[in-house]
Amino acid sequence: MKTMVLGVGDLGANNDQDSEIKTYALGSCVSVVLLDPKTRTVGMVHVALPESKINRAKALERPGYFADTGIPKLLEEMTKLGCQPKGKGLIVKLAGGAAIMDHNDTFNIGKRNILAVKKVLWGYGMGPRSEDVGGTFSRTVSVSVKTGEVILSSPGRPNWKI
Amino acid sequence: MSISDLHREITRAIEATPLLSPMASQLLQLNAKEAHELKDIVDLVKCDSILTARLLKVVNSAAMSLRHQINSVEHAVSYLGERIVVSIAIAECAASFFSQPLSGYESAQGELWKHELFTAIASRIVARHARVELAPDMAFTAGLLHDIGKAILSEFLQDTSRGVLKDIVQGNTNDYLTAEQSRVGFDHSTVGFELAKHWRLPELLQQVILHHHHPEQAEGESVALIYAVHLGDILAMMGGCGTGSDSMQYHLQPGYADYFNINKDDLAMILLESTEEFNKVEASMSLMEEK
Repeated sequence: MKTMVLGVGDLGANNDQDSEIKTYALGSCVSVVLLDPKTRTVGMVHVALPESKINRAKALERPGYFADTGIPKLLEEMTKLGCQPKGKGLIVKLAGGAAIMDHNDTFNIGKRNILAVKKVLWGYGMGPRSEDVGGTFSRTVSVSVKTGEVILSSPGRPNWKI
Repeated sequence: MSISDLHREITRAIEATPLLSPMASQLLQLNAKEAHELKDIVDLVKCDSILTARLLKVVNSAAMSLRHQINSVEHAVSYLGERIVVSIAIAECAASFFSQPLSGYESAQGELWKHELFTAIASRIVARHARVELAPDMAFTAGLLHDIGKAILSEFLQDTSRGVLKDIVQGNTNDYLTAEQSRVGFDHSTVGFELAKHWRLPELLQQVILHHHHPEQAEGESVALIYAVHLGDILAMMGGCGTGSDSMQYHLQPGYADYFNINKDDLAMILLESTEEFNKVEASMSLMEEK
């Protein structure tokens, strides 16, 4: 099995049935997973911050860094692989957006990421089918292109599916 | 093992840890002095041909993307900055200490070093937002060493992660720090403090290591510096550079607001800038590990 590893701010789409897409240790970042059962394509973006307005140059260089530029770019990549980037055709799954204990508003970037991701998705008429977000632990996410199974892991916990 | 047996074993493990090289120790002492110049660092580095060679390799690595090759120590030090010189000296003499897997935290090889490096970079950027006078390079060095206690304590925490996380979720213990205390009698900040004394680190660094999860318990001039590292540590965990099962399992101490002026947008910028710089420095230094 080939593994496409995404770092912070990376995104990728894949329809090679012998592959998986993986991203490590999300922390306050959010992984948006898009599954297209029709074309058997999987896409993922590792979003670090909610809005690109804080650094437009960075958003051009690495759109996946921000929710508002990452999701459109991911949909663009999936369209290239024959997906319909709208409405109920794509299955959406979300993971990540954790926070430190006793965080205040300033330090809750995780929550702001989740809200920003959902807002952008709503703009396309899409919403998460399932999600595992928030909490105070870091998640690693992997998706098999063949089965569409989204597996989460975190040190000291048994793996789980969403 | 009883608590007194554990204490004896942990003390023995600390005493058995090799000392930092004289070069790294001297750089740390110099770094902690208020009045010093880059020239002092250059003069020190020049005495060590291996360190000089490493510095030149890092500064000329692809990740630094320089247009022209740098061949002199003066240029390398002034381009990289004191903080990167210190990191290279520490990585050079204590590579196996910092790169060991922390099995007690279910953390893979290399993760401790990455966490220390990200914390260092983030602490320095946080320091720029201080309401009080604070040396950014000092925040970097303190961040780089804040979690040394984990390298010792890990061995004594084997197979505890799952139970500890359960205890935290069920509210039986306050956070990972108190969980360490209840399992082995000590937490990684007190063990780190003991190791810092064994390494004869500057007093200021010892204080940061001891109080980095509870800056509110510290006193005197070091408090702002400790808060900078406290926040740098949290930013590293948020950015996905934790050390395994304990990641995010600590409390934010709200007292930081007395020393730092940071709003939501500032924090987003700090996280972005830290991630960028971490990627660059990490790439230039991992080239060095390959040799």
